[in-house]
Amino acid sequence: MKKKQEEQITLKIAFKKALNNFLSMTPMLLGVIGLVSIMQTYITPEILSHLFGYGITTDIFTGTFIGAISSGNPAVSYIISDQLLNQEVTLYAVSAFILAWVTLGIVQLPAELSVFGLKFTFYKNILTLFATMLVAYFTVLTLQVI
Amino acid sequence: MKKIEYKGLKFLYIVLFCYIILFFIDTNNTLISLKTFLNILSTLVPIFIFIILLTTLTNYYLKPKDIIKHFGEDSGNKGIIYAVLAGIISHGPMYAWYGLISELRNKGAKDELLIIFFYARAIKIPMLPFMIGIFGIPFTIIITIYILLFAIIQGKLFSKLYKL
Repeated sequence: MKKKQEEQITLKIAFKKALNNFLSMTPMLLGVIGLVSIMQTYITPEILSHLFGYGITTDIFTGTFIGAISSGNPAVSYIISDQLLNQEVTLYAVSAFILAWVTLGIVQLPAELSVFGLKFTFYKNILTLFATMLVAYFTVLTLQVI
Repeated sequence: MKKIEYKGLKFLYIVLFCYIILFFIDTNNTLISLKTFLNILSTLVPIFIFIILLTTLTNYYLKPKDIIKHFGEDSGNKGIIYAVLAGIISHGPMYAWYGLISELRNKGAKDELLIIFFYARAIKIPMLPFMIGIFGIPFTIIITIYILLFAIIQGKLFSKLYKL
């Protein structure tokens, strides 16, 4: 009985710690969601399609950059990608776009910085940036070879 | 009770300021943005609850020595597999996971594995049928393999760069 009571207290403390941890992040989360909402309102697929069509390397870079500044449910990125492919944007660019959408996040950088610090955030994002461009390039290249 | 130290307050004030400015410049789009804000927030609430419960269970069951064993310096290939699997099954936006990941990091989880976790999150199992529908099976398989490969490469490179 005593042991059970001790466990309950511990679980209560564990919950309080988790709740406090989450609450401490709420201003940051609300800020990110606020910024994402503005981006979703102002950046439309039509605006995006005008930015592509300047060669593989440039398109991959543009796709990565646009994916990085956009955010939201991955399903939205697939729908936009479908529209971009219909407007004859290359698969290189679209692959980079969908990957950057889920792996990079310029709008969440301030939040990441405040939680993990400058060094961690810097190296993480630099590596993710290169990885995203390389994965996009190799995916389409492999697809063409097989 | 310990006072909560809020993170990102300045950032939130800047975003609020942007909304106020935008409201006077472009009222319609600001209202659309606010509606989008509420929509996103309502879809995230279940994920937030899930994360709070997961953090509670992590705090309760996983002691620092367990975290070090599974995600610490000597976790080896098993640690990589755990990080990849955790990344694949985790839902919601990346920023929603910062609290839990930061807590694991403070308790001794290896940075390399956290980097692997973050990149493996690009694989979304519930989204795979959707991806296949738009891009086809070969594309989906190839990109998934490359994501896994580059997640591990990134983790290894990160630990080398971080020591510099």
